[in-house]
Amino acid sequence: MSDIALSLRSATKLYAGVPAIDGVDFDLRRGEIHALVGENGAGKSTLTKVMAGVVTLTSGTMTVDGADVAPRTPLEARNLGIAMVFQENSLVPTMTVAQNLFLGQEKFYNRLRGIYIAAQQFLQSLNFDVTPTATVSGLGAAKKQMVEIARAVLHRAKVIIFDEPTASLTPEEKKYFFDLVRDLKKRGVSIVFISHALEEALLLADRITVLRDGKHVVTDDAAKFDRAAIIQAMVGRDLSNTLYGARKGTVRPAGARVLTVQNLKMAPMVKNNSLSVFAGQITGVFGLVGAGRTETFKIVSGVLKRDFFHGGEILLHDKPVRYRVPAPAVKAGIAYVTEDRKVEGFFETSPIAQNIYLGLLSKFPNGRMILSRRETDAVGKTWIQKLKVRAIGDHGKVVELSGGNQQKVVIAKSLVQEPDLIIFDEPTRGVDVGAIVEIHELINRLADEGKAVVVISSYLPEIMALSDRILVSRQGKVVEEFSALDATEERIMYAAIH
Amino acid sequence: MIATVREFANRILGRGDATITVPSFDGALKPNQKLEAAETLLTCEAPEDLATDGRNLFIADGARLMRLDGRVASEVRSFERPISALCALSGGGLAVALGGREVRLYSSPSDEQPHVTFADTAFNAVNALTLANDNTLVATDGSATCGVGDWARDLMELNRTGRVFKLDLGSKTVTSLAQGLGHAFGACVHGNGVLVSESWRHRLVLVAPGAPPRTVLAHLPVYPSRLTKASGGGYWLTAFTARTQLVEFVLREPAYRRRMMAEIDPAYWVAPRLRSGISFKEPMQGAHIKTMGVIKPWAPPRSYGLVIRLDAEGQPLYSLHSRVDGVNHGVVAAIEMGGDLVLIAKGPGRVLKLPLAGLAEEFCS
Repeated sequence: MSDIALSLRSATKLYAGVPAIDGVDFDLRRGEIHALVGENGAGKSTLTKVMAGVVTLTSGTMTVDGADVAPRTPLEARNLGIAMVFQENSLVPTMTVAQNLFLGQEKFYNRLRGIYIAAQQFLQSLNFDVTPTATVSGLGAAKKQMVEIARAVLHRAKVIIFDEPTASLTPEEKKYFFDLVRDLKKRGVSIVFISHALEEALLLADRITVLRDGKHVVTDDAAKFDRAAIIQAMVGRDLSNTLYGARKGTVRPAGARVLTVQNLKMAPMVKNNSLSVFAGQITGVFGLVGAGRTETFKIVSGVLKRDFFHGGEILLHDKPVRYRVPAPAVKAGIAYVTEDRKVEGFFETSPIAQNIYLGLLSKFPNGRMILSRRETDAVGKTWIQKLKVRAIGDHGKVVELSGGNQQKVVIAKSLVQEPDLIIFDEPTRGVDVGAIVEIHELINRLADEGKAVVVISSYLPEIMALSDRILVSRQGKVVEEFSALDATEERIMYAAIH
Repeated sequence: MIATVREFANRILGRGDATITVPSFDGALKPNQKLEAAETLLTCEAPEDLATDGRNLFIADGARLMRLDGRVASEVRSFERPISALCALSGGGLAVALGGREVRLYSSPSDEQPHVTFADTAFNAVNALTLANDNTLVATDGSATCGVGDWARDLMELNRTGRVFKLDLGSKTVTSLAQGLGHAFGACVHGNGVLVSESWRHRLVLVAPGAPPRTVLAHLPVYPSRLTKASGGGYWLTAFTARTQLVEFVLREPAYRRRMMAEIDPAYWVAPRLRSGISFKEPMQGAHIKTMGVIKPWAPPRSYGLVIRLDAEGQPLYSLHSRVDGVNHGVVAAIEMGGDLVLIAKGPGRVLKLPLAGLAEEFCS
């Protein structure tokens, strides 16, 4: 039997005549962990979707265990032993873990107890600490990931593809995930994983393939790469000095106080949280997952509500405010750029220009009955050019964009509102290195223009490279403040944990 | 009717005026322990205010007027009542407020008799004096009902009777510039007006003739007090203690406050103090919480030390702190002299000195 579990030859996929992948050759060995890296728009997702039967090739061939195949649906791919764990998990939140595991394999008559026992035994055999009777919506990100993996293994997958598996995991959960993947490897399962965290690729993978602009650039053993070499292969230029690396030598002086949060409470996530945000500065907010950072700023921007009784106080320009929905917050000059762009950021099947224009609509005091298509297109075009959104055609839909360009659309949708206070929640999550640099430049430019900018990030190098002042959040409140000049990764992490 | 219902609802829901919140010490007010590193020049019984003519440093210590020459303190004279405010006049003179009820002007600090005396019947708690021009003094009067030393009662009674007076040295007349302030405590000339600390409203207001007070800096997490000019533009603002949610809560409970003031020794009121840790009877003195398996001491701070450097527009640039575990609490006066900042920490009764060189660079980031 060949050592190659899956291979693609001259794989090409065209969208509206534009190649998403172009003549890519790819080999996946049996029992190897293969990292797929590249900028957003490089073709990683398309390549893996071809493997998983989500899309079909325009030209080229695919072989599994030496046999030519062309899966047209995920079910066909699953029957070939190929499973994909998507970035946004595909579990049914209202069903139990066991029901999700056996979804699609139900018999005419199902004995629930039998399903739970089978699921329990199966999860134990994988050494996964997940209760089969638990409802999926109540699970954390790591446990949901486990259920997805368990489902893939249950379907006797020989190839499992992970799309950004660690994006929403805490450091401890990541470590656990890596152990799981290594365990799968020992069982002879071949793993393909897409990651923007290059350190993870270097740490976990046996081999790394780099794609750029839909073309194969290089495949080699992970040991032969370092971070700078991967980045250079990904973007065709050396970014290692500009991406995260440059430490701040000076910080911007604080302007007027724009936002004051006083003793804010939203049980159980936000506990008596107090902080201030100043104009002309980037305020970085760091904390582990569950530290209440996102919730605090969602309350500020009217997405969530504080506690009904004694929920604390929010002052915008020294005046108390209480937003029950986001629209009045937008009118008051607060823009929140969500961390979950696919769910909360845009209408993915609508054109880019319409999505951007939607941001502007909430600025109109009484809404608008009739919308001007010309104005929509003009506003969209302006911001597409301003933020260098790379789209296929002027009327492209957001779903057709890469993650980095989707993020730029979400940012444009917020900036079109001309806010005074802009809150970026994980602005570069799932975004390629080229777009990271551009988004960081944009954030810096906003602060230079005198806007009050908040950056919430779980990635320390990003916080340290961007922020003028760093707030560390722990257990629902800000516990420490650092100037960017005297912050170190160790001090910030210590404050976040202890 | 609607206002009454709203007030009732706010009390139940903890909203509006019933919100019990305190701003955080962050940004320019980020805590440090710089005041604890200050050199102690002198320890006094009851230091209250500072003044300098550029060469000599005068200290109000109870009823005594002290002069500090280097490290040597000497008594210049004493008065029949405690000094509540000091101000150096041009030409080597000195203005002294006594017991909050009288302002005397001396051509020389050692003169036996004042050349001008203002004993307006309106004076009750004059706690700061500042020179507006060669012929005018501005005085802040904290309360029309409580004396200078009874400021905690003034806070607990929610009094808003602070006033600002203009004292014309030529005509020897007193004019009211503003009234209805929440404990006016400290003033400094700012353009055509006077910047005034309003302690109980935690803000600085600009008082100008013919205009209502305009807020310059609001929502301070402290009770601001005296103001002095800083070299290079701007001001030094002292804060005699920090606000806490506990005190804010008590301020919204009239029945509790009434009983507390009637039945409990003022030293043990749930109220801000200039010093703490004196007695086990102090409220919440020995609390602790368990965090991640470790018992950590915790208590709402009863006293705190803070001086804030403001820019020329009255906005904070940086601040110097003595935190809860420090000693130099109850900072009520700060003045620049030579290359140093001299302060009074009234809690421990200390006159402190901090070199100004490098302060901005150290804390202005």
